Amino acid sequence: MIWWFTRHALLCLLGAALLSGCATRSLFQPYPDQARDWKNGLGAGAAPVALLDKGVDSADGVLYLQELGRVEQLNGDIDTSRSAFARAIDHYRDTDEQARLRASGLAANAGALLVNDNARPYVAPDYERIYSHAYQALNYWRQGDVTGTAVELRAAANEQRVAANRRDREIAEAQKEADQADLDTERFDGYFAGLDAAAGDVKASFQNAWTFYLSALFWEAHGEYNDALVDYKKALEIHPGSDLLKEDVTRVSRAQDGHRPRGQGMVAVLYEQGYVPPRRELSLPIPTIHGLFAVAFPTYSPADKPRPAPLTVTAQGASARTEVLTDVGGLAAKHLKEQLPGMLVRQTLRATGKYNLQKKANDDFGPVGALLTQLFNLVSERADLRAWLSLPAYGQATRLLLPPGEQRLQLSTPGGGASLTVPVVEGGLTVIHVVSLPDGLITRVLPVQEGPL
Amino acid sequence: MVRVLSMAVLATALLLTGCASKVDYGDAQARETVTTDFGSTDLQMIAAKMVDDMMVFPPVVDMTRDRRPVMFVDRVKNKTSEHIDTESITDTIQSKLINSGKFRFVDMSVVDRVREQLEYQQDSGMVDQSTAAQMGRQVGAEFMLYGNLSSIVKRDDSTKDVYYKFTLKLLNIQSGIIEWSGEKEIRKTRKRSLFGL
Repeated sequence: MIWWFTRHALLCLLGAALLSGCATRSLFQPYPDQARDWKNGLGAGAAPVALLDKGVDSADGVLYLQELGRVEQLNGDIDTSRSAFARAIDHYRDTDEQARLRASGLAANAGALLVNDNARPYVAPDYERIYSHAYQALNYWRQGDVTGTAVELRAAANEQRVAANRRDREIAEAQKEADQADLDTERFDGYFAGLDAAAGDVKASFQNAWTFYLSALFWEAHGEYNDALVDYKKALEIHPGSDLLKEDVTRVSRAQDGHRPRGQGMVAVLYEQGYVPPRRELSLPIPTIHGLFAVAFPTYSPADKPRPAPLTVTAQGASARTEVLTDVGGLAAKHLKEQLPGMLVRQTLRATGKYNLQKKANDDFGPVGALLTQLFNLVSERADLRAWLSLPAYGQATRLLLPPGEQRLQLSTPGGGASLTVPVVEGGLTVIHVVSLPDGLITRVLPVQEGPL
Repeated sequence: MVRVLSMAVLATALLLTGCASKVDYGDAQARETVTTDFGSTDLQMIAAKMVDDMMVFPPVVDMTRDRRPVMFVDRVKNKTSEHIDTESITDTIQSKLINSGKFRFVDMSVVDRVREQLEYQQDSGMVDQSTAAQMGRQVGAEFMLYGNLSSIVKRDDSTKDVYYKFTLKLLNIQSGIIEWSGEKEIRKTRKRSLFGL
């Protein structure tokens, strides 16, 4: 009888593993390895998206949609990018409106408890949601849809506000959960020293001054000085030492009083540098009642993080250097750190469960069963390395005030340069979106913004 | 064993047919509460309220007693954080106003195509000049309709609250005076359920 029962238990286990394998693709193939496929050739303008197209219907669909939206945007296929981001944004809404305790969610959690965290469907963190809205705004902007751009910029600001409200409560809850499980999270601090270093001086995992800057520029160009001032000030709050932002705040405050600069237009460079570093796997000894059990944990290594390199733009003798407004690697590391207490709780439960399974197999099946379960435990012990990987490492920006007319600009970065001619309109805004990738430099001049909305 | 299997097959078959999708017609005026996003019911509520308000406003009643003033719809600015087709709202309002028999409209969105047609009638030599429409005979609009749609969205883990405010104004083009202004507020709240599939 016991034989029959354990055999079935093992079969169920295998079945669960296989089923969840179909549900999420990252269960046995680490996500950063998959991402290499579409990151190759992205700068050259023709990244392959076959793998992404396959991924969008899986349980991690939202992650692949985000990647697809970004990759197609850089490839230059704005329509596909727009529909991908629109689907990702619908997905966020569905996630927000789902019942808080769901049968399918419990099943996925049970699978995760047996296998690893990759069996849980991917939930996009706040900083990725904010980026989706910002990139969608750039898509609308490029297509000349001013209302659509405004809508997405407002949505990005909304996300940041909601995230700020939610964050404190969530961290407190996760800590409470860890306390209830009688888990001392501080004892692991030594293992995650790299994570702290990678987070750098990022204060909150969602504060994105780059997207604030993008929307501030847009509002300013359309004469919405009130909105522009709010967004410049929010960016300044994140980078209190930035002279660039201080000047912007002063200029818009003066514009509100009716002092607008005459005879010049603004040229802004939004510069995205490199790729956000991927997560790495770390082996962590978790204490169980049977002793220490090694489990795989995700972390970020500061060694993967590129150094910020500014872009210099020169025109008519004037020049400006971009400043780092958003350290995306830092946001990602900070987000992971906020998730740690909950992950530690799950890992402890999983370690105990796996140990029990191994022990039972050893008792009931002898060496062969033990070997098999040990093998399963070994293979299934994978850290959750999923995160949006086509995001840049740094979001930088700068701007110049130039006389109206066609202006010749010289852009130079450590990874190469470009020279281009852009239209400048009095009181208007010309944005150049520059993305530097290992394969090359992508520059796009967005339609000039001017006049009331 | 065989019986258990056949029961299982039967149950699966029932489940599968239960899941089969089907198409049906619904009432276009029915209350739609699928999500808190701007939807058909919001559009209908806004249009009905605007037209009702305007038609009973005493100066408008006076103005339309003996004549049918000509208006045009400028646009309603979308100041929300959703992609909403505000033209669809103004179209509904316009239809209702025309059908009331109190107002007439000129359509600024087809000016180019009308000009093309006029030029064809005048200059192509294909049209009998006794029936050709003449240039410079269009009626100038006396009033302009325009407005804003704005929203405030608040959200936390369990609740989402959306407040929409639609404002419509009727402006006398010659005098610059706003003859009428209407407002419709809508509040929608969604609570997340605790249990679900």
